[in-house]
Amino acid sequence: MSTAKARTAHAKAILGPVLHQRLAETKVLLVGAGGIGCELLKNIVLTGFGKITLLDLDTIDLSNLNRQFLFRKKDVKQSKALVAAQTAAPFNPNVQITPIYGNIKEPQYDLEWFQQFDIVLNALDNLDARRHVNKMCIAAQIPLVESGTAGYMGQVQPIIKDRTECFDCVTKATPTTFPVCTIRSTPSQPIHCIVWSKSYLMGQLFGEDEDAVGELDEAEKQGENAQEIATLRREAQAFQAVRKALRSSTAAGAAKLVFQKVFDADVRNLLIMSDMWRARAPPVPLDFDAILDGTFVLRTGEPAATDTAPSNGKVNGVSKTANAAASGSKAPVNGVASIDAGSSAPAAGSGLKDQKQLSLKDNVLLFVSSTERLAARLQAGEDTITFDKDDDDGLDFVTATSNLRSAAYGIAEKTRWQVKEMAGNIIPAIATTNAIVSGLIVLQALQILRKSYTKLRNVHLTVKPAVPLSTSTMCPPNRSCGVCRDTYAKILCDPKRARLGDVVKGLLGDDEREISVYEDKRILSDPDWEDNYERTLESLNVSRGMFLTIVDEEGEWGTVSVGLGVLPADHPADAPPFILPDPLPRPPRRVKAPLPAPETPPPLPLKRRAPDDEGGDDDIIDLEPTPKRPKLKAADEGIKSPSKKRRLDEDGLILMEGKDDVLDDDIIVID
Amino acid sequence: MINATLTEEEVGRLDRQIRVWGFEAQQRLGTATEVIKNIVLSGVGRLVIMDGDEVIEEDLGSGFFFRDEDVGKKRVDAAKDRIESLNPLVTVETITAFDGLEGPGFDATIRGVDLVCVTDWDRDGLIRINEACRRQGKPFYAGGTYGVLGYIFCDLLKHDYVAPHDRSVPKEAQKNIKLSATYPPLSDALTHRWSSLTKRQTKDLNPAVVFAILALWEHQKVLGQLPTGPDDVAELESMANAMISAADVKKQVLETIPSDLIQTLSETARTEFSPVCAIVGGMLAQDILKTLAARDPPIANFFTFDGNTGAGTVCRMSMP
Repeated sequence: MSTAKARTAHAKAILGPVLHQRLAETKVLLVGAGGIGCELLKNIVLTGFGKITLLDLDTIDLSNLNRQFLFRKKDVKQSKALVAAQTAAPFNPNVQITPIYGNIKEPQYDLEWFQQFDIVLNALDNLDARRHVNKMCIAAQIPLVESGTAGYMGQVQPIIKDRTECFDCVTKATPTTFPVCTIRSTPSQPIHCIVWSKSYLMGQLFGEDEDAVGELDEAEKQGENAQEIATLRREAQAFQAVRKALRSSTAAGAAKLVFQKVFDADVRNLLIMSDMWRARAPPVPLDFDAILDGTFVLRTGEPAATDTAPSNGKVNGVSKTANAAASGSKAPVNGVASIDAGSSAPAAGSGLKDQKQLSLKDNVLLFVSSTERLAARLQAGEDTITFDKDDDDGLDFVTATSNLRSAAYGIAEKTRWQVKEMAGNIIPAIATTNAIVSGLIVLQALQILRKSYTKLRNVHLTVKPAVPLSTSTMCPPNRSCGVCRDTYAKILCDPKRARLGDVVKGLLGDDEREISVYEDKRILSDPDWEDNYERTLESLNVSRGMFLTIVDEEGEWGTVSVGLGVLPADHPADAPPFILPDPLPRPPRRVKAPLPAPETPPPLPLKRRAPDDEGGDDDIIDLEPTPKRPKLKAADEGIKSPSKKRRLDEDGLILMEGKDDVLDDDIIVID
Repeated sequence: MINATLTEEEVGRLDRQIRVWGFEAQQRLGTATEVIKNIVLSGVGRLVIMDGDEVIEEDLGSGFFFRDEDVGKKRVDAAKDRIESLNPLVTVETITAFDGLEGPGFDATIRGVDLVCVTDWDRDGLIRINEACRRQGKPFYAGGTYGVLGYIFCDLLKHDYVAPHDRSVPKEAQKNIKLSATYPPLSDALTHRWSSLTKRQTKDLNPAVVFAILALWEHQKVLGQLPTGPDDVAELESMANAMISAADVKKQVLETIPSDLIQTLSETARTEFSPVCAIVGGMLAQDILKTLAARDPPIANFFTFDGNTGAGTVCRMSMP
């Protein structure tokens, strides 16, 4: 305990003696000890939240040190939660911090575990974990304060079941998509070439053998230019040949083969479609040998070498410098990260390489070397290689190929550093944004603890000059939300012994509705298919921490979600292997909405298209190969609950730091 | 932290820009603590901290650089090592001797830095330091908190910066343009009248909080201290109302200061609260960094924060 009695004088005056006293007994779960988490931990320790549990699955990286102020160089590779707790504890000896080095999605953090807390604070950087905590807090009926930051932007959202919207009530912005023709045939901006390289070309060459033809059929159905589709189909077939070359052990000339196909033959094929180039500058096929021996002329009257350096290079350089100073993050992150990754290049050198404008010849050489490196990895046994911004080979490949495509189309080229930022969509994490958001989280949390629900606000950190911190009052839950409109309950069971049918029948009691049962997106039974009823939950891969979801077949009643917990230690061995919730969960009758909400509200502000795109524009196809979308575990892959499926598809973009941010690759660009 | 991907020359150029001089005094230091943490983390070249006071027990509530055993020590002495450990690349200098805000010594100190930031100071003091900064041609920032309210004021003289010309267009298509803003000193800003604002514009700026803070400054000037409790409610209220009237604020939006706000403020004006300091200190540091980098528009010119809701607005005081 602190010996300084007046330590709490100010907090007591502001909170009032009652809340101040109660705060000392308040149990808070803080999820995340990264950018927001470090700041938030400091705030709640100083404010006097008495019992803090801090959980984070990550270890400290060198690149964290410039904004996660509880960490020092000596702490690198240690658990973030443990070190943060150690550093922050002396800020206020009156509070108790329990750090956990673990993943919030692990089964032991089940409903019962969540229910020990008075409030949960999210300081997470990835959508998947944020959604998980949202659902657990909704199910456990524990108030949550949600938060997120992206560059200078940030937001704080208090969430209380039945009182406010939950995190999933509002569709999260979907990844920006581009018309398929823009990416495949008529790019007009650097980002189009980067998306092409990262999401299309890399997938074609190094990814899974995809059904490109099927995708094109779909595009044709949606009214894309039929002639163009036919061209693309030929292109897809031609890829098979180069794929093979890259995987054969005699791949010495494979890079050149790829080049000739992608930057010469494919471009020539596109040029045949003269309609396409009536209002656009046509692309120029690139000549591998001529570029290397210096005789290649990209466009008449423009020498190749100077054409590749955009005239705004200087402006960019200055602004990047300024930005680095302002955010204090971008530049050092790159340098430090490459040291940390054991890169062979010295830090300073790689930094300069990153910012250098590459000539056409440089790009060809980089293309050859990166293609050879990637091919060697395939031959060494790697099955597929997808883009990862921290994978130097992939980044080099995307840099070179997107620049070569840009050159062919007369689009400004980008440095490796810029490509990394755009392709990985790294929004610089800014320490001050985290600091501001973490303060706002505490203020909303205190309103929740006061039960001053009318004073709760969503707070947005914006770049509007007159209103940098804008607030809005709380919205009621979305009636069709697939998360917070469910009726939740808890069942304690032994999955080894409990059979699905017994559990479901027990939960239904005398309710004889026709129902289907799901675990997450997997269907376990429906009214015409109860084969799994005799199987144990364990044999169905249903275990602690998961939910059994009971969906009314007629859609007239709400959905029941039952969280699985463990039986108490003293549960008699001869008793049934589960304890039903008491009372049994009874869903409310569904209020039929007059008009169904659109499945996916169009993300207008994020959708953009090239100014010169015309015709067929309304058919937007997401080109993402989605290599990291969650895969279904069971054999019933084809059958999915519609609402869950929808939610899965709405995975959106939120940044930013942390190598476990599995959604990175789903993001294309944020303004 | 900055030099990882910059050339020597670029680092040299930055270093000249990024010496910041901050100091604070009087009771509270939460805002200063947050600003110092953020500025040091950002990798600013050199920070000069000026503070003559000693650590008191109350400082432990928001000053995370201090421990129980630091009570009684000079604040800057107690905090220096912990500040430096945040970022070994930043040079931290401390000054404990304080010989007033007047005179050539003071001007000489300002001359050696690129920007001055003052936290939790009274109005007359801010005006004097602002004037000294003007004499030396240095940008000036002030910020502080009163319970759950907070403010930032800045006088950046004539400030040139680059900003995207239009945020609504795609990032790749954006061009940066050079812009310039001319700031008034605090003494001029305080004469600001709200006559030209529409009802809507007035409302958006949360005028009650603006005038609550201006009234606290007036109270401090007239009575020599911030309000200490219920006995000061009447005085503070009448000061606020007189200022609202003098500034010609749209009566339909705000005719008199809300009495619950004044009552709370009378009890809490002398206190500071960690989360509020984090917000104001975060905004303040962020703006200082923007100004030093000459990128993006800085605050123009009076930011106020209302911790009851989380709202933060910027009022252009005597600025077009």
